[in-house]
Amino acid sequence: MSHEEALSELSAVALDAAPSEIASAVRAHAAACPECGPELAAMEQTVAILGELAPAAQINRGRSAGIRSRLIMRGRAERESRSAPVPGPPDIARGVASLTGQGHRITPGAQRPVTGDTKRVTPPAQQPKVPLDVIPARRSINWYAIAATLALIITGAQLFRVTTDRDRMREQVAALDSVQSPTDSLTAMLSRKDSMIAAMTGPDVKVVPLVIEGASEPLGRMMWNRASNDWIMVTYNLRPPKPGKTYQVWLVTDDAKISAGTFHPDANGGTFMHARYAMDRNALRAVAITEEPEGGMPAPTGPMVVAGNA
Amino acid sequence: MNPSERPQSYSSENGSNADDVALMRRMVEADETALGALYDRWVRSLYSLVLHLLKDPDEAEDVVEETFWQAWRKAGSYEPSRGAVSTWLLTIGRRKALDRLRARKRSREDLIGEDRSFADLPSSDPDPSIDTEGAELRENVRRALNHLPAEQREVLELGYFNGLSQSEIADVTGQPLGTVKTRMRLAMQKLREPLSMHRGVTE
Repeated sequence: MSHEEALSELSAVALDAAPSEIASAVRAHAAACPECGPELAAMEQTVAILGELAPAAQINRGRSAGIRSRLIMRGRAERESRSAPVPGPPDIARGVASLTGQGHRITPGAQRPVTGDTKRVTPPAQQPKVPLDVIPARRSINWYAIAATLALIITGAQLFRVTTDRDRMREQVAALDSVQSPTDSLTAMLSRKDSMIAAMTGPDVKVVPLVIEGASEPLGRMMWNRASNDWIMVTYNLRPPKPGKTYQVWLVTDDAKISAGTFHPDANGGTFMHARYAMDRNALRAVAITEEPEGGMPAPTGPMVVAGNA
Repeated sequence: MNPSERPQSYSSENGSNADDVALMRRMVEADETALGALYDRWVRSLYSLVLHLLKDPDEAEDVVEETFWQAWRKAGSYEPSRGAVSTWLLTIGRRKALDRLRARKRSREDLIGEDRSFADLPSSDPDPSIDTEGAELRENVRRALNHLPAEQREVLELGYFNGLSQSEIADVTGQPLGTVKTRMRLAMQKLREPLSMHRGVTE
């Protein structure tokens, strides 16, 4: 790009009104041009001053405090993870895979996340113990009210649901047989299907339906095989998180909320997660999914999307 | 405007920006309390801008959070020589807000029909206790804005508030692309003059 061409595009670039390829060329030129570089900087500063002319608006104080708190908490968590990385076992999200819709994939082993959205989060030992009922949330739900309701629901329907989930999983895993992808490690996938089905249907499986308040049908279930320490979570029709947000799974015990990882459901709202994590067979009190900033949080801060009593 | 509603500090090459730069350095060193301090200084200005662009408080709050988080993550890439911290922050926030506007995929009539113009920008009522120089600069820019010919102002508004490219502006206004480019360039040059007189970024 010539100097004259770059000069003529500076204002559009400063306003973000130029096509990306032109903007890139102009910026490359400006980086080395003693005339265009300062001119572009000045125009960008002018654009920023235009932003300062916007009518003053007052952000909701409570929400602003929540945003500030989340930012600091995330910053702290990141600093701590930088300075003292601790291997954390309960990373269920490492095994996240979508089984709904077309082109099902299951990641063999628990070492490779299937989606780029799945991230490891702070292990439980690093997490602050924040009581659930004081979690700052825009649209908080009474966890214990949900838990009491769920206790009634679970009792009568658990056996039927286990069977339904087992059949559903069998169908989904069976569908893998028809998937022919040169990039998928089908052999490894298939080698796991028997153990996964067993993990979901064994005598020691505890099923936790995950429901949204007021809904008659669950949006997912967490199945915990207390003999094999397998954890399997499925969701259906879960709406996508807001832009810039992710879902985070929490295993709630009496004295901790253990992050089980972050995930994004597929286009159909479906999610399948599998991992192994040992927990005292009587320790689990509830499972919850909250909406959190990308990357997850060391403790739940966002609105609860679904939850279930163990 | 009520002085109490003004942001706590403004960008310029004065003490407030030096404070911001110091906060940025602490953020590079992973001091999260600096992030909180930067948030306190600029949340009102940033929220005002993105709310004016998005017209949706929930989305505006999301953009505010994303912007400060990006500031934390990218603090090391901030270069004081390229402008004030506030310039950097507001630029990030505006881009994120425009990304959301574009993602809404609304009709162009919706975009240009909404109240996103400079027409409702209030007259500056600077609080003399804070950053008088910055307030004066803003007032001069606002005055220059008010003196722009209508056709230049229209082009500027469509680009600034609606995130339209020059081609899209040409499409919306029915003007040749070359005319749009010329009007935008002239408008920006006129708005830039107060900045040159103020401290002289290029001088």
